[in-house]
Amino acid sequence: METYSRRWFLGAGTTALVSAAGLTACGSGGPGGSDGTLTAFVYGDDAAKVQAKAVSRFNASAAARETKGSLRLEKVPGAEYPAKLRTAMGSPNAPDVFFNWGGGSIKAYREAGQIVDLTGTIAGDPVLKNGFLPSVLAAGALGGREYGIPMRGMQPVILFYNKTLFAEHGLKPPATWDQLLDNNARLKKAGITPFALGGADIWPELMWLEYLVDRIGGPEVFDRVKNGDPAGWGDPAVLKAARTVRELVDDGAFGKGFSSVAYTNGGAPAALAKGKAAMHLMGSWEYSTQLGKFPDFARGHLGWCPFPEFDGGAGDVRNVVGNPTNYWSVNTRTRNKDTALAFLRTCASQTYARELIANGDVPATANADKLLDASPSPEFARFQYRLVREAPAFTLSWDQAVDPDAATPMLTEVNKLFVGKSSPERFVAALKALK
Amino acid sequence: MSAARGAGRPHPSWALPAVLFFGFFALVPMALAFGLSFTSWNGLGEPRPAGLANWHALLTDGRLTRSLGVTVALTVVSCAFQTTAALLLGVWAAGPQRNRAVLSAVFFVPFLLSSTAVSLLFYALLDPNFGIVPGDTLGTTSGAFLALVFVGGWQFIPFHTLIYQGGARQIPEVLYQAAAIDGAGRLRRFRSITLPQLRNTAATSLVLMVVGSLTYFETVLILTQGGPGTDTAILPYLMYEAGFKAYDFGYASAIASFLVVAATALSLLLVRVTGFGAMRSTREGM
Amino acid sequence: MSRPANPLAGLGAVIWLAVVLVPVYVMVSVSLTRQDEALGGNALRPPHHPTLANYGTVLDNGFGHFLANTVLVAAVVVGIVLVLCVPLAYVAVRTRGVWSGGAFRLFLLGVAVPAQAVVVPLYLMITKLNLYDSLLAVALPTAAFAMPVSVLVLTGTLRDIPEELYEAMALDGASPARMLFRLVVPLARGGIGTVVVYASLQAWNGFLFPLIFTQSEDSRMLTLGLFTYVSQFGVNIPALLASVVLSGVPVFAVYLVARRTLVGGLMGAGGK
Repeated sequence: METYSRRWFLGAGTTALVSAAGLTACGSGGPGGSDGTLTAFVYGDDAAKVQAKAVSRFNASAAARETKGSLRLEKVPGAEYPAKLRTAMGSPNAPDVFFNWGGGSIKAYREAGQIVDLTGTIAGDPVLKNGFLPSVLAAGALGGREYGIPMRGMQPVILFYNKTLFAEHGLKPPATWDQLLDNNARLKKAGITPFALGGADIWPELMWLEYLVDRIGGPEVFDRVKNGDPAGWGDPAVLKAARTVRELVDDGAFGKGFSSVAYTNGGAPAALAKGKAAMHLMGSWEYSTQLGKFPDFARGHLGWCPFPEFDGGAGDVRNVVGNPTNYWSVNTRTRNKDTALAFLRTCASQTYARELIANGDVPATANADKLLDASPSPEFARFQYRLVREAPAFTLSWDQAVDPDAATPMLTEVNKLFVGKSSPERFVAALKALK
Repeated sequence: MSAARGAGRPHPSWALPAVLFFGFFALVPMALAFGLSFTSWNGLGEPRPAGLANWHALLTDGRLTRSLGVTVALTVVSCAFQTTAALLLGVWAAGPQRNRAVLSAVFFVPFLLSSTAVSLLFYALLDPNFGIVPGDTLGTTSGAFLALVFVGGWQFIPFHTLIYQGGARQIPEVLYQAAAIDGAGRLRRFRSITLPQLRNTAATSLVLMVVGSLTYFETVLILTQGGPGTDTAILPYLMYEAGFKAYDFGYASAIASFLVVAATALSLLLVRVTGFGAMRSTREGM
Repeated sequence: MSRPANPLAGLGAVIWLAVVLVPVYVMVSVSLTRQDEALGGNALRPPHHPTLANYGTVLDNGFGHFLANTVLVAAVVVGIVLVLCVPLAYVAVRTRGVWSGGAFRLFLLGVAVPAQAVVVPLYLMITKLNLYDSLLAVALPTAAFAMPVSVLVLTGTLRDIPEELYEAMALDGASPARMLFRLVVPLARGGIGTVVVYASLQAWNGFLFPLIFTQSEDSRMLTLGLFTYVSQFGVNIPALLASVVLSGVPVFAVYLVARRTLVGGLMGAGGK
């Protein structure tokens, strides 16, 4: 009875709205229109220009003519991309093709039946099947089924450092945790903050925990959580990682004001470039950021190395965390699946890979290896490609891997740990309590 | 006389379009929020009935009380800060100083920027390395809280200053002249003439301040994201986070319903305290 | 002489002047700085090589279009609010029925309800109404939530129109409609000015509705445009601050041209 009345309430409300729609819906010419143009949502940062080029090339191609369709690229503001995608997907103006991070970021769409299963398409199409690094293609999968085609560069998290500062103080990039602590002590004595950290954005803080848990306990620790067992947070490696974070913070490794420093407004990259901080743990996009904002620094003084080994830890030093890449997925409600799939196939093309490389990205395509010399920084590109290809495990960023409803409280707990609002023990307890 | 007495009384139906419009775009959503609070909905597909689960979670997980505390504290401290500053500046600006007009115009500049613009500006200014505020402002609870109070004040004090300036200008000069003859000191005149005369002005300004401080949403979203931890997560932000970050629209609707009820109660209180509800003006009794 | 200047308040005014000017100065100065020179350590130092390039970047990225959208929404919001609220206030002040009193009280209850509270159900309604990603999706609810305060301001003003004036017009045989246009509207100009300013400010400051209800660049409003620049310009602080400065320019222009009306309208809020 209760259920009935509630349903009635919602039903009646909806009916009233729909009938009123005729009166009010006058100014709503949605995007796309009815002319067979599909909409593609992409994360609207600097790199979206590569996708814009790909879309206009596709629209002029034979494939577009054969499938009688074309695409329109919609650059969605970056910071709120997931929320915008969700609200749009629930509306009549849903995109036909959409950018995502794979993993947890597409789970809800799969459950709602709004994302096309590409497993068969990929298996039956040599261009797609052999076009990408298998580990990267797999990283976007959910429960063994493929839903996305890699469409951007790899984004492993890398330890960047200021080569000039390191030379001045006679330091070497840290390969072990002891070396890292030793570097820190000497940098602090010289009045330099060891690590830049954009704590105002919170997600840069998460990178530290991702690497520490991997180095201390191996990739299996987070895999367990990702596969739906929150008890996995109880692994001793998580507690140890949290304690290590606290030690670093208390030791001043991130400076005193890291919570007021943001990555997104340029504070953290500038701290590294201007020599206020010596190192910066960040996704590989940091290179293009520096190249864009401080070209002289990026070309002559920016160094990079893998995250150091943790003494006595179980994780392989070759393991990587970060975003394997980003993916295009297709909405099941698209009016022209053929066009959408034809567009996805262009991501495996050499032209597209070249454009990504020219933009400073390292594509996850099988052919990238031979093309990297054309990169604006071949040295960095080859380092990145090798790092990913040789990594025994590539752990997807935690906030993308877990369910969105767990990601927000998780980030809040990470932030509390860093700012000292929570102890390592309480941090672990809080994570275990997440759904 | 009695025929003219009812002159200019329009038919009550003239009010109908406004009531219908407000009903559809304000009251229906409020009711719908209440309805959605009993469902589970992630934004895709249709909402599914979920009984009291969201309300149970809301009332037991402790997030609501913490957020309510932050919201009340932010409102009270903001109002105190803005009222003090606006009162002093407004009374001063109503005075006879020569540069007053120019200064008043400068004071007005922050109000010309949108809240989003102001938040983005301070986001850059608070960077400890490159901004103008040293130290870890946003990393401590009190720092982040005071930053929100300050940024809100920076933007809205100009507006309230104008309100007080308008009010102070209307205080009859004779009152001051009489007081001067009585030999009342400056402070005394401020306390016994200016303040009481500005009572209605203060009420208006306060209502707008309280209403305004509930809309600190974008400042929180851009500046602190509710942090450190959840220490500046005011109710509207908590609702946004639950809805548009965690996609738990049922839970978000429960927060929204609570917010609507609390704000309505607040409206009633404000209307009663300030006498806004006194529909019948003094004229009616004549 | 009757209202002596207060030196203490004068001092406070000077302090506040600094509080206002320092951020404004930094904003303008950084927006004129070359990107590689910005974030150079001291934000208070004027730029070595002043440049307008950042403003060019902003203008090339849809700023004018976003501004036009905001102006359009503000105009629609003001229009809706005036057309609906003036007759309502007229009814509330001039009739005594249960219905008119009830209608007035209904709006009073909404005075403190923040529009953000109902963004989730509104989102549901907007999508069902097929209004998603249109400017109307922002304008309609913004107008609705600007109504309570507008009704309050208007009833306050209308109450001060003396009974005698209505009687005089009634003797000439004027209908209520004629009284509305010939008597009420002209005499309530102050209150209407306040409402115009208030309602446009709601549209000008609105952030959450554009964020949730619109999507494409075509229907992007200025506040959301600024927010978008954060990710679009990556970490280009000078361009970001240039966009903030530019967003203030049109209102500043309005302020300079219509200072008296604007200030009068705002002061009217605290009126009597």
